[in-house]
Amino acid sequence: MTIVGELLARNHERLSGFPAPLEQQFEAGLRALAPRLTPSQLQIWSETGVDLTGLSLRSWEAAVEYFKAAPQLPANTTWDAIETLGREALTMAAESAPLAVSFLRSAPGALAAVGPNHLRQWADLGRRLYKGNWKSASLAAQFYDLGPQVFRVLRVSQSVRLVLFVDELSRHSYELASACLATAPAVLARLDEDDRLPFLAFAVELAQSSWADSRLYFERGASLLQKIHAPVRERYLLLAAQVARGHNRSAFQYFEEAALALGELEPDDHHRVVELAEQLAPYSPFAAMDFVTSTPRVLERIRVDELEPWQQAGLRILQLSHEGGEGYFRLQSSRGEDILDTLSARVELAKVGEILRLYCKALTGRNVSIQTTASLAEKGIGWIDEHRASTEGSTIFLPDLMERYTNKGENFAAMKVFATHQAAHIEFGSFDFDFERPGTVFPASRTTLVREGSQPVTDMERYFDLFPDRKLASDLYTIVEDARIDGAIKREYGGIRRPLGRMQAGEIANRPDVRRLPLRQAFVENLVRASLDGVEAVRWPKSRAQVMAQGLGLLQAIAAPGALVEDAAEATLRLYRIALAIPNVLEDQDDEDDWDPVAPSEGMQQMPVEGGDLGGEGSEMELSDVGEGGEEYQSPQDVDFRGDFKPELVQLLMKLRQDAQGGDAGQVQNMPLTPEQLAELLEKSVEIDLDSLMEGDLDSTTGMFMSNLMKEAGTPAQDKDAKKGEPRGDDSTGEGEGEEPLQPIVTVYYYDEWDFRAQDYKPRWCAIKEANLEEGAEDFYENTLREHAGLVSQTRKQFELMKPELFRKLKRLPEGEDFDLDAAIDWMVERKAGGQPNEKIYWRRNKIERDVAVAFLIDMSASTDEEINKREKKYEDDDYDDDPRKYLSWWVSKRRQELTSPPKRIIDLEKESTVLLMTALETIGDQYGIYGFSGYVRDNVEFFVIKDFDENLDHKIKKRLDKISPIRSTRMGPAIRHATFKLRETDAKIKILVLLSDGRPQDHGYGRDRTEKEYAIHDTKQALNEAKREGITPFALTVDRAGHDYLKTMCEDMGYEVVADIEALPSRLPTLYRRLTE
Amino acid sequence: MADSTPAGAFIHAVEEYTVQQEPYYLPIGDEVQLFETAYEQRIPVLLKGPTGAGKTRFVEYMAWRLGHPFTRISARTGEEAEHRKPLITVACHEDLTASDLVGRYLLDTDGTRWVDGPLTRAVKIGAICYLDEVVEARKDTTVLIHPLTDYRRLLPIEKLGQVVEAADGFLLVISYNPGYQSALKDLKHSTRQRFISIEFGDPPKDQEAEIIAHEAGVTRDTAMDLAKLGEKVRNPREHGLSEGVSTRLLIYAGRLIHRGVPARRACQVSVTWSLTDDAEVQRSIEEVVTSIFE
Repeated sequence: MTIVGELLARNHERLSGFPAPLEQQFEAGLRALAPRLTPSQLQIWSETGVDLTGLSLRSWEAAVEYFKAAPQLPANTTWDAIETLGREALTMAAESAPLAVSFLRSAPGALAAVGPNHLRQWADLGRRLYKGNWKSASLAAQFYDLGPQVFRVLRVSQSVRLVLFVDELSRHSYELASACLATAPAVLARLDEDDRLPFLAFAVELAQSSWADSRLYFERGASLLQKIHAPVRERYLLLAAQVARGHNRSAFQYFEEAALALGELEPDDHHRVVELAEQLAPYSPFAAMDFVTSTPRVLERIRVDELEPWQQAGLRILQLSHEGGEGYFRLQSSRGEDILDTLSARVELAKVGEILRLYCKALTGRNVSIQTTASLAEKGIGWIDEHRASTEGSTIFLPDLMERYTNKGENFAAMKVFATHQAAHIEFGSFDFDFERPGTVFPASRTTLVREGSQPVTDMERYFDLFPDRKLASDLYTIVEDARIDGAIKREYGGIRRPLGRMQAGEIANRPDVRRLPLRQAFVENLVRASLDGVEAVRWPKSRAQVMAQGLGLLQAIAAPGALVEDAAEATLRLYRIALAIPNVLEDQDDEDDWDPVAPSEGMQQMPVEGGDLGGEGSEMELSDVGEGGEEYQSPQDVDFRGDFKPELVQLLMKLRQDAQGGDAGQVQNMPLTPEQLAELLEKSVEIDLDSLMEGDLDSTTGMFMSNLMKEAGTPAQDKDAKKGEPRGDDSTGEGEGEEPLQPIVTVYYYDEWDFRAQDYKPRWCAIKEANLEEGAEDFYENTLREHAGLVSQTRKQFELMKPELFRKLKRLPEGEDFDLDAAIDWMVERKAGGQPNEKIYWRRNKIERDVAVAFLIDMSASTDEEINKREKKYEDDDYDDDPRKYLSWWVSKRRQELTSPPKRIIDLEKESTVLLMTALETIGDQYGIYGFSGYVRDNVEFFVIKDFDENLDHKIKKRLDKISPIRSTRMGPAIRHATFKLRETDAKIKILVLLSDGRPQDHGYGRDRTEKEYAIHDTKQALNEAKREGITPFALTVDRAGHDYLKTMCEDMGYEVVADIEALPSRLPTLYRRLTE
Repeated sequence: MADSTPAGAFIHAVEEYTVQQEPYYLPIGDEVQLFETAYEQRIPVLLKGPTGAGKTRFVEYMAWRLGHPFTRISARTGEEAEHRKPLITVACHEDLTASDLVGRYLLDTDGTRWVDGPLTRAVKIGAICYLDEVVEARKDTTVLIHPLTDYRRLLPIEKLGQVVEAADGFLLVISYNPGYQSALKDLKHSTRQRFISIEFGDPPKDQEAEIIAHEAGVTRDTAMDLAKLGEKVRNPREHGLSEGVSTRLLIYAGRLIHRGVPARRACQVSVTWSLTDDAEVQRSIEEVVTSIFE
C-alpha cells in the first residue's frame, strides 16, 4: 500500500462525515504532493488538513481549499512554506473559517507572486485587518483574494502601506475601505512604479484627516498625479500630505486643485514651483498648496524667473501672519496684487488705460476714449484683427497687453508709441481728408483726373474711386500717410523719438527679404522700409534705380513739415503710377548682386503728373499688372505699432454719426445714406474683408455689417468718466415685478473688503448693485406727516433755529470794520489810568455759510421686519374675565385694530424717522441723500437710491420712500464705502454719513461662518475709518439694545448711539442730526 | 518819493507806486486799443480770464502806457518830469470788507485818526484802482463800487459822512476768473454790467512761445515746445484740470530750463505737480511732457 492509500484510508473515517468533494480534494492533493514530500511530511500535511475540518462548523470549507491548493502550489514551494501555510490556516480557521478560505484560495497565486519566504508576512497583513467581526473578516478575506493582483503591483513591504490605509479607513467605513481595496490594484497599476508608495503614503494621511475623500482620491488621484512631472511627484505628494496631516480641511481638494494647476504649467517648471512651495509649507501647508494652485494665474502676469521674488514677498507676509500669507497666495489680497504688478514687466491696458486716455485727449484735444482691440473686433464693423491697434476716429483701440520687452518701462513706452501713433492720426487729420482741398507740398492733380461711376459717399471713397487697383492704392496710401504721421510725431514730440525709432528699427529687422519678392511688391516693401526711417535698408535692382529713387523721394517729401493728408493723397497718386509701371515679376535670383541701396531723389514734390486716368480700362499699364504672367500682387507685411489704418471706413463712420445726429447746424444738410450706397461702398472697399466677416450668405453678412455700422454710428462716443468705483451697466434687476414697464437701471461698483486677520484688503471683493428703489404709494409720506404732525412742526422749528445767521458780529478783534464801542471805552479808561490797554477793540461781521452734505444709510435687512412690541403683550391684562363673549369681543377689536393699524416694525420706524428728517432737512437746505442697503453674499450687495444728492424731493421720491422694506442680509462695509463714494462727489465742506441699523453687520461669507461677528465688525469699522479719512463724519445709530458691545468696537472714537426706546427714534434722529452738524 | 530799505527793497506809499519800467506785454488782440479808449471815456474795465493769463501784467502795462504820454518838460525849469500813472492794486480775499477799501479810524495817542483805504486814495489822486479777483471779496464791497462806476463817479464814505468825487484820472479795473469760482461766487449782474469786459484766453501757440521766449530767456525752440505742452495740457478739461496750465507756469518752466534744469524735470515741477494732486492725472501729463521733451 502506498503512503497515499494509507493516509486516505486512515483519514477516511474523519472525512466521510463531510460532503463528498472534501475527500476527493484530499486525494487529489495527496497525489499531487506525494512526489514532493517525504511520507512523514505528507502525513503532517494530511493531519493539518484533517484538523482544519474539526475547528468549527464551517471550517471543513477551509479544509477543502487547503487540499485544493496543494496541486496548484508553485514548484519551488518548500516544505517550510507548506507547513507555514498549514499553521496559518489553522490559526485563521479557528477565528474565522471564511478568512481561512480566502487565504488558502489565494495562497498559490500569492506564493507564486511573492515567493515562499513572504508567506507569513502576507498572512500577518491580512490578519491585521481582521478585528473579530464579520465585516472585518470579509475585508481581510478580500485582501487575501486580491493578494495575487496586489503583489503584481506592490512588493510585500510596500503592501504594508496599503493595509495601513485600508485599516485606517475601515475604522470609519468598511464599505469605503472595501471599495478602495477593490480598486487598489487597478489604480496602482496605472501609476509608475516609483509613485506607488508615495501615492499610498498620501492615501494614509488622507484616511487619517479627511477619510471621506479617499474614494475621490482613488478615483481621480492617479490621473491627477499623471499631470505632474514624474520626478517631482513624490515631493508633491509629501507636500500635499502636510496639508492633510492633522487638519480637518479637505485635503483632497487642495491636492486636486494644485495638481490641475501644475498640469497647466510646463513640466520643466514643476520642480521649481514645488520647491518654492516646500519653503512655504513649514509656515502654512495651505499657503504652499495655494501657491501651487495660483501659479498658472500668476504666470499669466509674470515670467517664471519672477516667481521667486513674488513667493519671497509672500513668505515674508506669511511669517508675520498666517491669514495674511494665505490670502496672499490665494490671490485674495491687494498686497499680493501690488507686488505682482511691480514684478510684472508687462503692461496691461486695464491699468494704464486711464492714463493713456487723458494723454491722448491732451494730444488730440478731442474726447477720445481708449478700448481694447478685441472690443473693436467684436463690434463687427469691419475691423477683424483682435490684436492690432486702430482707431475709428473717436476711440483709440489698443492691445490689452504689451509684453514684448523684459522691462515694464519699455513696455509702457511701446504702448505709448502705439497710442501716440493712433492719436496722431486724429491730431494730424488723417480722417479729415477733403477731396477738393489742395495740399501744401504737392500741387493738386487728383481733381483733374477723370472719374466715372457712382456717387461716392465720402471724400475718401471718392479718392479711392480714382484707382482701378484699389488694393495697391490703399497699401500705398497707408504707407505714405503713416510716413507722414510718423514724421509729424518725430518732429512735434521730441521725447517720443527714441522709443519710436527703436520700434521702427525692430520692425525693419523683421521685414521679409525684399530680394525674394516680385518686383512691384519689392517696390512697395522698400517704401515701407523707407517709411520706417530705414532708407539704408532699401534694396533694389541697379538697373531700375530711377523709379525707386523717385518713390523714395516722394516719401521723403511727405514727411516735410506742414504736409497735409491731401499731400499724402497726391504722393500716393504719383507712387501708384510708378508702381503700376513696374511689372510684378520675380527678378532672376542670379543677379542678386545688382540689388543696391537707392538714394531718394530730391525735389520730388515738383514731379509732374500727367492728366488722364490712372490706367483705367483699356490702358496698357493697367493690364500689365496681372496680365503678363506676373505674380498676383500681395500686400506688404503689417507694421505692428502702426496698427490697422482704415481711413475710408472711418470717414464713412464719421459721416454716419453725423447723419445720426442730424448734422451740424449751419452745415449743408447732407443727404442721408441709402443702403444701396452703403452696400456698394462695402463691396468696393478693400478695407473690409467681407469674407472674414461672413457668417451666412453675402447678403445677410452685408446686412449684418451695415446694421452694426448703423448701431455704432447711432451711439455717439461716450465719455466715460471712469470713476474709482468703476460703474458698469448691468441689465439684471433687483426686485422688479414682471409687469413693471421700466426695469430699474442697475449700476455695478466694486469695492475692496478688509480682512482683519490678514490685515489686508481683498481686492474688488464686493459688488455693489446700485439702483433706484421702486416707487410705491405716495400716501405713506403724507400719512406720516399727518400722523406726526406735532413732531413735524416741532422739528421744523428746531431746524429753523439752526438756519445760520448770514452775518454774525465778532467782537474784540485787533482790526475790523469799526470800533466796538464798549471795548473802545475800556481802552480809553485803561489808557488814562496808565495801564496796558487791550488793543482788540474792533468788531466785524463774519459770514457763516452752512455747507453740509449728509448721506443716510438705511438698513433694509430682513431683521428689520421684527415687530417692536412683540415681547410686550399689551393686551394681556384686559379684563375679559372668563366670559367667552367678552373675550370674543376683545379679540375682534384687537384684530380690527391690527388690521387698520398693523403693529409697527423697526423698518416702519426707520421710514418714519426718515420722512421727518427729510422735511427738516428741506427747511435748512442741507444737501442730503437717502440710501437703503441689503443684499446677500459679496457679489450682490444691493444699494437702493431713495434720494440721490442731486435729486429734489418730489413725488417720485416720496413714492420710493414707501417701498423701503426688509429684504436680506446686512453687509455694511461695502454699503458704507459706496455712500462714502457718493459723499466724496459732493463739494460740501462738512460731510456726514449716518448709518441707521437694527443690529450688527451680518451676511453669508461675511466672516468664517454664520456665527462669527469679528470679521464683519472689523470690515465695517475699516469702512467707517476710510470714510473718516475722506473727511466725512460717520455716525452710527442702532435700535439694537445689545448694540453697545459691538458698536464700541466698530465706532471706537466715532459717534454712535443706541436708541434705547425704539419708538423715540423719529424724535431722536432730528435732534441727533442737529447735534452732529452744529 | 520812495524810501530805500537797507535790503534794497523800495517801499512806496500805495498811491505813489507807479510802473517805472515798461512791462513786457505782447498784445494778442485789440485789448490795448480797447483799454485806451475805455480809459479816455472813463469806462470801467473788467478783465476776465484764467489765472496766469496776464491780466495783472496787462494792467501794469496799461498803467505804464497811459502814464507815458504825459511825460512833460517843464517850461520853467526845463526838467523832464514824467507824469506817471499811479496804479493801486488790491488783492481781494474773502474777508475783505468795505472798510478795508474805504478806510477806517485808527487809534492815535490823542484819540482816533481817520485813515483812507486804498480805494479812497485812488479816487482822490486819480489813479487806476485794480481790484484783483473781485468776486472773492464780500458782497458789500461790490455794492460800494457801484457809484464809482457809473456816471456819478462818487465814493460815499459813510463813517465820515462824506462823498468824494473821483479825480479825473481815476479808473476802476477789476479782474475775475470765471473758471474756478463756484456758482455761489459768481459776479452779480448789477456789478458786472457796469464794466466792459476784456477776455483773456490762453494765447495762441506762436504768441505764447514768443512770450515764454522773452520772459524766460529760452530759445525759440524750447519756447515752442513749452507752448505746445501748454496747448496739449489744456486739452483735457476734467479731473481737476479745468484750469489748464497758465502761461505763467510755462514761463517758470522756461526759466528753470534756461538755468540748466533738465526740461522734463522743469516741466514736472512747474507744470505737472502744480496742476493736480491726482496721481493718475499727473502721470498722464507726465507722459505728454516726456513725449514732447527728450
